[in-house]
Amino acid sequence: MARRKGLVINDEQMQMIDGVLTKLQRVAGSAFVALISTSGQPITTAPADVDADTLSLAALAAGSFAATRQLAEVLNEREFSLLFHEGQESNLHVMQVTEQILLLITFGRDTQVGRVRLYTTRAVEVLKPLFEDAEDSDEGGARTIDTDYSREAGAAIDDWFPGESDK
Amino acid sequence: MALINLAAREINYKIVYYGCGLCGKTTNIQYIHRRVNPGARGRLVSIATEEERTLYFDFLPLSLGTVKGLRTRFHLYTVPGQSFYNASRKLVLQGVDGVVFVADSQISRLDENVDSYLNLWDNLMEQDEDPSHLGIVLQMNKRDLGSIFSVTDLTELLNHTGSPVIEACALTGVGVFETLKTVCKQVIAKSART
Ligand SMILES: Nc1nc2c(ncn2[C@@H]2O[C@H](COP(=O)(O)OP(=O)(O)O)[C@@H](O)[C@H]2O)c(=O)[nH]1
Ligand SMILES: [Mg+2]
Repeated sequence: MARRKGLVINDEQMQMIDGVLTKLQRVAGSAFVALISTSGQPITTAPADVDADTLSLAALAAGSFAATRQLAEVLNEREFSLLFHEGQESNLHVMQVTEQILLLITFGRDTQVGRVRLYTTRAVEVLKPLFEDAEDSDEGGARTIDTDYSREAGAAIDDWFPGESDK
Repeated sequence: MALINLAAREINYKIVYYGCGLCGKTTNIQYIHRRVNPGARGRLVSIATEEERTLYFDFLPLSLGTVKGLRTRFHLYTVPGQSFYNASRKLVLQGVDGVVFVADSQISRLDENVDSYLNLWDNLMEQDEDPSHLGIVLQMNKRDLGSIFSVTDLTELLNHTGSPVIEACALTGVGVFETLKTVCKQVIAKSART
C-alpha cells in the first residue's frame, strides 16, 4: 500500500525537539513556544501542558501563516517564511521549519524582537534536520496504526456520543 | 496526513466539510458543537463575515478518547463555499484525511453542487494526494425541503467514488452524527496498515 506523506514523531526525536524548545523559551525570554503542523495540528509545546486552546491556536496560526504566504506569492515575494503579530501585551512569531512544520513563539512587549529572531532562527536550524527524518520514516506510524487499533477505534466511534446517532 | 506523535501517544486526523455556499457545512459543525459535552470537544473557532458567512474556515476539535494507548482526535474544518474563495479552500484542504461532501438537495442548487464537487476533486488532485487514501462521505442535506433531488439522482452526480451516502437535515441534526461517525470510521480504516 502506497502511503501518503504523513508525519510520525518518535520518542527520541521528541526528546531532542522538547530540549530545543525549552531552551529557546528560556533564552528568548518567551512565554510560550509551540511546534505545529502546517495543516494546523499541535505537535509539542513549552511549557508542556496542552489545553484545548492550544488546538485553536494551532489551527488559527497555521491558517494565518498559510494565508500570509499566499499573499506573499500574489505579491511575487518569494522568500516569505515569517509571520509576525504585534499585540498590546504580547507578540507572536510564526516561522517555517520545514514544508510540514511551523514554529510558534510568543513573548512580552519588554522582550527585544531582535533577540527572539536570533534565537528562533538558530532553533529552526537545529529542528529542521530532526523533522526531515520524521517525514522520511513513516515506519513507526504504520506499525502503530494497525488493524487492532483500527478495530478498537471503530468500536469507540460506535459508542461515541450515545443517543445522538439515532436521530 | 495523519499526525502521529508516538512520544506524546497522540494521533490527530483532519476532516474537512466541503460543498457549495449555504449547503449547510457550518450548520453541521455548529450542531455537533452544541450537542457534544465540553469535555469531548474544544472551542469552536469561526472565521466568518459579519453576515455569518464562512470567510476562511470553522474549526472544531473532537476527542475520541484513548484507543490502544493513543489519544485520538479528529479536527473538523469547513471551507467557504463561494467560488471566489478557492485559494482559501486549498489551504484548508492541506493534510486532509477525510472529506464530507455536503450536497444541498434542492433542485435549484444543481449547478452549485456540481461545480463544488468538481472543484473538490481538482483541488485534491492538485495536492498530489492519492484520493483513494481519503475517507469520503456524501451527505445529502436539506432533505426536509420541498423541491429536492432523489437520492439516486444526487448519488449519480456527486459520488463517482461510490462512497457512503447519508441523508440529513443539519438544521435539526438528522444525520449529522451518522455522517461524522461514518467519515471518522473510514479515516481510521484507511490509515491502518493493510
Ligand atoms: N431547511 C434547511 N435549512 C438548512 C439545513 N441545513 C442548513 N440550513 C440553512 O442553510 C443556510 C446556510 O447554512 P450554512 O451552514 O451557513 O451553510 P454553509 O455555507 O455551507 O456553511 C442557513 O440558513 C441554515 O440554517 C437543512 O438541513 N434544512
Ligand atoms: Mg459556512
